[in-house]
Amino acid sequence: MNPVKVLLTLIPFIWTIGMIPFVNRVKPLVFGLPFLAFWLVAGIFVAFLCLSVVYRMDSKKRQDS
Amino acid sequence: MSNETIALGIIFIFVIGATVVGMIPGMRKTMTLEEWAVGGRNFGRGLNWFILAGEIYTAFAFLGGSGWAYARGGPTFYILGYGALAYVVGYYLLPAISPIGRRHGLMTQPDLVEHLYESRWLGILTACVGVAFLLPYLQLQLTGLGLIIETCSYGVITRVPAMLMAFSLVAAFVYLSGLKGVAITAVIKDIVMIIAVVFFGLYLPIHFFGSVGGMFEAVDAAKPGFLALPGGTKNFDVSWVMSTLVLTSLGFYMWPHFAANSFSARNADVLRHNAVYLPLYQICLLFPMLIGFTALMIIVPALKTPDMAFMVIVQQTFPGWALGLVGGAGALACMIPAADLILSTSMLFTRNIFGRTVGKDTTPEFQAKFVRVVVLVLTAIALALAIYAPAMLVNLLLTGYSGVTQFFPMIVLGLFWKKATKVAAYSALIIGEALVFYLPLSGQDPLAIFGLNLNAGFVALVVNMAVFVTLSLLTSTAESEARKTKAIQG
Repeated sequence: MNPVKVLLTLIPFIWTIGMIPFVNRVKPLVFGLPFLAFWLVAGIFVAFLCLSVVYRMDSKKRQDS
Repeated sequence: MSNETIALGIIFIFVIGATVVGMIPGMRKTMTLEEWAVGGRNFGRGLNWFILAGEIYTAFAFLGGSGWAYARGGPTFYILGYGALAYVVGYYLLPAISPIGRRHGLMTQPDLVEHLYESRWLGILTACVGVAFLLPYLQLQLTGLGLIIETCSYGVITRVPAMLMAFSLVAAFVYLSGLKGVAITAVIKDIVMIIAVVFFGLYLPIHFFGSVGGMFEAVDAAKPGFLALPGGTKNFDVSWVMSTLVLTSLGFYMWPHFAANSFSARNADVLRHNAVYLPLYQICLLFPMLIGFTALMIIVPALKTPDMAFMVIVQQTFPGWALGLVGGAGALACMIPAADLILSTSMLFTRNIFGRTVGKDTTPEFQAKFVRVVVLVLTAIALALAIYAPAMLVNLLLTGYSGVTQFFPMIVLGLFWKKATKVAAYSALIIGEALVFYLPLSGQDPLAIFGLNLNAGFVALVVNMAVFVTLSLLTSTAESEARKTKAIQG
């Protein structure tokens, strides 16, 4: 498997699961949300962005072959 | 008109409207088993989106999300994390399953297991375990519906008649239209749900505290630490949330009904494309939590049943139409996922238990009729359990997510690893399920170990995975690898 794809697949897990010990706090509130909630909502966008890139790479590969 | 009449009217319109729409596909023609169970494998991006996304907004997301926020605080936020990760898993998993299903005519999760390991009995075992975890989940939707309609009709319709009426309607449209009926009613349900949760989730904090941030400031001032981990709990701490996120993100697509949903896709690209955008849909799960936190500050005296938080605060703040909207959306949030569960459980029973044992010689045409009868019988059983023995299945329910996640090594390694063997699959599944029952029943969920509080299902999954890998390495042979490669590729 392509190492870029592996990395893009792992980033959402590191962001959402691996970082929890470091983001378990209430303050500062970001966009009105407690910091932990903000971090997890941000993780949703991170997953979306990573998957978008993987999807682009996969579609391109299928067209080439 | 009185509040009761308006609320009831709105609930009726939603429930009847969705049922009628759900019946349409099945009234046009008589469906074959493949059309009924997996939508003729012809769902494009739109229907596939709603059938996959529709399973997110269940009774749990609606009542449980706000109830958890109200009672537990910070640990609730895990709900925001698992879905997006589950779709990352799904991005790779579903497109791998879907073409095998098309080539070999697979319609259920045990079909897939039977195919991957060339083992009829492993398929039957998978089906039995699946039914054992689907039934309580179905009962939860029924009980949730009873609670919602009773509260939102101001007690005019009590829970038993509410369950009887709503689930006769569910059985009717599943009977006629199968998966297509579930998919198109899910469209209606999701639109109504999103309007309801976003409206109330933003309106309530702004109405009482000026802004969402103002509401959280107030919660933090009144209860310092409640909004972080472990919040209002003793042991749902950082390690619990981390282990629970691993469990739920890997286990998400192990629910048996999701297999049918991926077999229904027109092609693998539909599944990949939707997996990219589905994480964004998870943001809506935030809004029920906002309602729960607001309720915590506003409702006096404290609620005995935290799951009522959403409905009680709406009832105290708004006139009847609002409670009708919540009731209608909530009723659909129970009915549509329940429809998918009924369909899936009936298929497991008909195809993988009946059709592989006493009914081996029956034709597909017979099974297509038989499965619809099972739908009716199953709905009746679930209703009887919900009315007469509401507590009987509670242990199964607590372990549901952990239970289905134990399929993960067997299915995922079975799809991607040619050394996986049947012996390993049997042993690992049995050991995983045994732990899933033993740990919670002996009061060890979460399991305190090495100074951590680990979700018992996660512990079971780790043991299960270790057993699976070890035994596969020990028992695989050149011949078994060749057969496995053929099962995956051919």
